[in-house]
Amino acid sequence: MASTASPASTPLAATPRRFPGLLKIAGFFALLTALTYAADWIVSAGLKRITTSKFGSLNRIMAGKVNADIIVNGSSRALFHYDPRVITAITGRSAYNIGMVAARTNIQLAVLKSYLKNNAPPKLVLQNLESFSLVTAKSGEIYDPTAFQPYLRREDDLYEAFRRISPEAWKWRHIPMYGYAVEDLKFTWALGLLAWAGYSGPEIYHQGFYPRYDQWTDDFDKFRASAIHGLKYDIDPAGVAALTEIIELCRARGIDLILVYSPEFYEAQVLLQNRKEIFAVFRQLSEKYQVPLWDYSDSPLSRQPSLFYSSQHMNANGAEAFTTDLARRLRDRRP
Amino acid sequence: MVFNSFEFALFFPVVCALYFTLPIRWRTPLLLVASCGFYMAFIPVYILVLGLTIVIDYTAGLYLEHARGRRRQLLLAVSIVATCLVLVVFKYFNFFAGSLTGFAQVLGWELKNPSLALILPIGLSFHTFQSLSYVVEVYRGHQPAERNFVVYATYVMFFPQLVAGPIERPQSLLHQFRERHDYDYARIVSGLKRMAWGLFKKLVIADRVAFYVNDVYAAPQNFNGLQLTVATVFFAYQIYCDFSGYSDIAIGSARVLGFTLRENFDRPYAATSLGDFWRRWHLSLSTWFRDYVYIPLGGSQVGPWRWARNILVTFGLSGLWHGANWTYVVWGLMNGVGLIAGRVTQPLRDRVLGVVGLRAGTAPRRFLQTVSTLLLVGAGWVVFRANSLTDAWHILTHWPFGWNPGAIITERFYLKHFPPALLAIVTLELIQFLNTRASVGERVARLPLGLRWPAYAGFALLMIFFGVFSSNQFIYFQF
Repeated sequence: MASTASPASTPLAATPRRFPGLLKIAGFFALLTALTYAADWIVSAGLKRITTSKFGSLNRIMAGKVNADIIVNGSSRALFHYDPRVITAITGRSAYNIGMVAARTNIQLAVLKSYLKNNAPPKLVLQNLESFSLVTAKSGEIYDPTAFQPYLRREDDLYEAFRRISPEAWKWRHIPMYGYAVEDLKFTWALGLLAWAGYSGPEIYHQGFYPRYDQWTDDFDKFRASAIHGLKYDIDPAGVAALTEIIELCRARGIDLILVYSPEFYEAQVLLQNRKEIFAVFRQLSEKYQVPLWDYSDSPLSRQPSLFYSSQHMNANGAEAFTTDLARRLRDRRP
Repeated sequence: MVFNSFEFALFFPVVCALYFTLPIRWRTPLLLVASCGFYMAFIPVYILVLGLTIVIDYTAGLYLEHARGRRRQLLLAVSIVATCLVLVVFKYFNFFAGSLTGFAQVLGWELKNPSLALILPIGLSFHTFQSLSYVVEVYRGHQPAERNFVVYATYVMFFPQLVAGPIERPQSLLHQFRERHDYDYARIVSGLKRMAWGLFKKLVIADRVAFYVNDVYAAPQNFNGLQLTVATVFFAYQIYCDFSGYSDIAIGSARVLGFTLRENFDRPYAATSLGDFWRRWHLSLSTWFRDYVYIPLGGSQVGPWRWARNILVTFGLSGLWHGANWTYVVWGLMNGVGLIAGRVTQPLRDRVLGVVGLRAGTAPRRFLQTVSTLLLVGAGWVVFRANSLTDAWHILTHWPFGWNPGAIITERFYLKHFPPALLAIVTLELIQFLNTRASVGERVARLPLGLRWPAYAGFALLMIFFGVFSSNQFIYFQF
């Protein structure tokens, strides 16, 4: 049979390949890439299946399953301070907390946009304020970006917000496993795999609210001793713009908005050197847009260490006391 | 650009593809351009500093080859001083100036500290030493001067080993830039595997345990004895895996391109004495100091006092090479003193161990020697890693006390981080041990494709899952 081979095919077959085995190398890396995509898909899909705690809450927001009358937006101070169950019990209106740990105002804006995109607009947004509300997240400062990773491919508002903050954000969206492997040190991918197998973990959130059962320690005294000259937070034009955009967004959607400065331990307030200037911006925005500003700085709640576990954060008892007071004001407030 | 970056994952295949497809005469210029790009990814302007040392030593090499007598010595001296001057200005000026003003203060004199606000060019000590070895070898007549500037510049700048070695000698590397390196599937696969092994050490071990080490060593006074001990053990693995991991990637990437770089490590923690440790740790630097400092000083072919002096000078300089801080100098001298003490006490130790039945060459004796060497090396690492000699002293005097297993975690290293870190360390030790009998890599390579590829892919996925990719430095870059 060999002698019957066509003359044209013989020299071709005899030509040595220039890069023997290259296809094999390429094939292996293609397999690895495919496996990485598959791993990314499984982890993201698993995280989206979680029904409890942080991811459970985010999943309800992104899946449009919240649709509450009252939304609480902000950072950890919002997350730990506002108990929607108390709001609902007192006002009779459904409520949900979309606060996120260490979320700066530009991230809060992105979360609110995603909420509004996926859910029916609320009647009221309670925008929590803090002394660093006018500071925005800069590149490399996005806290826990992995929490948003499962949604980045679909949620353009989130992605655009991240991209504006960090030029690297395109990698989180487009490179498989990058967000889980590079940006996360907490093995969040393991939660995704467990959830893929049907395990969601315990529920510690209540309608987005995370009660903290910690007690006051001497950490604040240590901090105060170390910060003898006090501290100062920037009044970043981008931060002012982000807060303004939140106000304008609510106004454009016809959503009632209240700016709330939730209780902050009173002894910590004097440490902030430019507190007056920061509050001047809050008041200016409040007056300009005719948005109420409820300031709990001088509230008796701010003077009780037993209601706090740190100078900025109330514990579960503090959250209950504060939310009760806030909800009564909401109930008694004229529309 | 660092090896464990997304940028390098794009850079390297592109360079390889171009390298194997370009005509041969363009390959070395390509490597030079690629190396410039690689280096400039750190601080672009520092390419000028590197360029200056290259021009100095290239020119010196050409003149040295023909110069005779005192002129030859003068040329060598000028070349060494000029090359070292760059190192002194960028790396040691502030250290010496600070030490001098501190010393003056002790004597009651008030001197103004003339510190320079300069960032250390990455890998400066490595390419400086590689350049120095070139001029010295040309001076000694062991190496003809390189006439082709592109070849010489590529020898200094070759990107796989540019920023953290191995520090090559001209005899072993320079000629390789004149040789033809064709595409070779087996060699490329072998190089890629070596790179993967290096990445495992770096990403899964070094950068994971670094969180624990950094937390504890930042303020050792805040941690109990157990945490100080764990941090020190972790640091021993961190520095080994960080640096040997870098060396593996350097050797592997060079191998992919067809180049052979020297080995830099040989299971250093299996050493049975300090001397043995230094024959296994950072071999390219140890042999550099041996050939260019220790032997020219007389080495061991002198009386005991001069030998001891030679050891102390060599190790003191080696310590200083690692960093402009007294902790490094003390670390170097500690090793020197340890070596001297080891040799002085050798007969006594032999006799004592012989009396208790631990004869030379037996497994229990080797075990005892390995453990005692590890303790000495560990004590050295404490001084090496500590931010100050005060911190080092605190760790060395507090590690045995206040062990509290309930308080073993740190701010950034939780209980859940221990299992993968410890498992990775055990895997490392196991594979290194098995490699002494038969190469694990070769055994896996003999498996059928249906088992081999899943094994490789699984290994890569485990690195993705358990690796730490956020670090953008290797420890030895700073040296």
